[in-house]
Amino acid sequence: MSDLLDVQNLSVRFGVRRKGGFFAKPTYLTAVDDISFTVRKGETLAIVGESGSGKTTAALAIARLVSGLTSGKILLEGRDLLPLDREDLKDMRQKVQVIFQDPYSSLNPRKRAEDIVREPLDSLTDKSISEKREIVDGLFKAVGLHPEQKRLFPHQFSGGQRQRIGIARALSTQPEVIICDEPVSALDVAVQAQILNLLRRLQTEFGLTYVFISHDLGVVQHMCDSVAVMYMGKIVEHADRLSLFNNPLHPYTAALLSAVPSVDPMLREQSRRILIPGDPPDPLDLPKGCRFASRCPVAEARCRDVAPRLKLAGSNHRAACHLVEDETSPLAGIRS
Amino acid sequence: MAPLLKVENLRIELATRAGVAPVIDNLNLELGHGESISFVGESGCGKSMTALAIMGLLPEGIGRVASGSIQFDGEELTTASPRRLREIRGNEISMIFQEPMTSLNPVYTVGEQIAEVLRAHQGLSQKAAWKQAIELLNAVQIPNPKSRMESYPFQMSGGQRQRVMIAIALACTPKILIADEPTTALDVTVQAQIFDLLRDLRAQTGTSIIMITHDMGAVAEMSERMIVMYAGRKAEEGPVDQVIARARHPYTHGLISCVPHIVANLTEERQDLTEVPGIVPGLSEFGQDLCLFSSRCPRVTDQCRQARPPEAHFGNSRISACWHAEEL
Repeated sequence: MSDLLDVQNLSVRFGVRRKGGFFAKPTYLTAVDDISFTVRKGETLAIVGESGSGKTTAALAIARLVSGLTSGKILLEGRDLLPLDREDLKDMRQKVQVIFQDPYSSLNPRKRAEDIVREPLDSLTDKSISEKREIVDGLFKAVGLHPEQKRLFPHQFSGGQRQRIGIARALSTQPEVIICDEPVSALDVAVQAQILNLLRRLQTEFGLTYVFISHDLGVVQHMCDSVAVMYMGKIVEHADRLSLFNNPLHPYTAALLSAVPSVDPMLREQSRRILIPGDPPDPLDLPKGCRFASRCPVAEARCRDVAPRLKLAGSNHRAACHLVEDETSPLAGIRS
Repeated sequence: MAPLLKVENLRIELATRAGVAPVIDNLNLELGHGESISFVGESGCGKSMTALAIMGLLPEGIGRVASGSIQFDGEELTTASPRRLREIRGNEISMIFQEPMTSLNPVYTVGEQIAEVLRAHQGLSQKAAWKQAIELLNAVQIPNPKSRMESYPFQMSGGQRQRVMIAIALACTPKILIADEPTTALDVTVQAQIFDLLRDLRAQTGTSIIMITHDMGAVAEMSERMIVMYAGRKAEEGPVDQVIARARHPYTHGLISCVPHIVANLTEERQDLTEVPGIVPGLSEFGQDLCLFSSRCPRVTDQCRQARPPEAHFGNSRISACWHAEEL
């Protein structure tokens, strides 16, 4: 299938002031640094990474929801979203919608459920009142809420139900792409499954394309078709689901996967944990070489001197590591 | 050997607008010397409330121990004086919380906060406490502990702050460490570091650990035994690997199978996750004489709605409070 979304050389910078106060020259924090990826129609790209990796900023940039300086290209069906303004943006916002992390703070507490779901239709389209009512009714059914609940306020719903309202709102304008920003991390485990199943069902039903942001690799493994792993603003590895989870090439990806606590005693025995010590580097003072080198168990001198580029390391598999050779992880030797 | 901690027929009542609700309803548990157990369940099932009761930190005027006993090293805690409880807290039983930012004081340096515990509980001098605090920071593997003593919490990362919390909790080498979702706010690689640290410290000091979590993976990594709680009651108890391999309560089964776990040798095949429909009942429904999980249970029968299931005992000290435990 064709690429619905084509992101090219996307960078997002934020101006920050450091020591020196008001008269100091602003310095820039590059939250997303020259990343490129594509997403096929009807598929799910997961962006994973730890806090501060830039995954949310990258995803929200696609929805034109970041205030920083954005450069690069974001092509949706071939049309660049970045230069759009006002009326064109309205059109674009119908096509790209967002489901937010926290269903407690992302719904206006003073509005009724039906008004929240209808809001994108009010502000982005010129549909008639009866059309909108029909759409809202359909959405309530689609996300598994009762029609009687339409007049209730957010506080009268449970967390899972609130997230259903958020999903209904995102679906209201019949978007092409939905950015799911940690859609289940604020929910109880048993409720997570309900929402994840719903998201997958809706994807098939409406042919949706998801950009799925999560730090939970179990959830990602279940939801995605391909995965981009981010570290300090860079994509360090990008592959389809099976290649990434079965053969992680970048040492950071391998460490991330091995850090997930497992219920399977066999798996616990097998995969010795790859511990990465310390914390990520200061984003305002990034090393000139590989950003992961200071924590990498196999880093060499060249890793600290030259930043690795994301390069093809197999079919549908890219990794940004000097030491990856022919689909073999540099950790292959030290992992038993 | 007698257990270090023994909770018997504990009932904790919480005063709500709708009346008094039993947030903990007839709970029994034991914790051995050097043992690590986990309390598992969704929010609102009474995991944290049990921990707070053990610490003598129930919300004043709202929560109270209605009946039952909590014995720590042979000493009854439910009737202990506030003064005695203050001595025990921090010294013998200490606790680390979910959010290391909000549980540290933002206007004191971490050094001052660790030293304070040592001065208050062990009567150390300013200087001795400071010195000891540096050693503690070193023990929780914070680089440059001497200079980090002068740091304020905001100058540290989340993982480092949790290390500081652990240093404070372990300052007086407590017999029990209660860790209430200690890594929920942290990234997985940092979580792995914290788990390793806790395991090492436990091996060195012989501290018993009670971990509160909803992550079965974390339970499997950290504990020998787990207690699954639902709506203020114990649903299931047993050795971790056995419970995970074969749950004897539908709720436990639901908790394990509703989560997409990382698997080795992933295949194209993907099935829907098992859903546990509905949510945990509200406090007003606690305490009824029926199985409180019956409204969400796939195996529910009339019996479940008519009477509270007794705790059925199985081999290997496994317990399940389900009418159908035999069949599972």
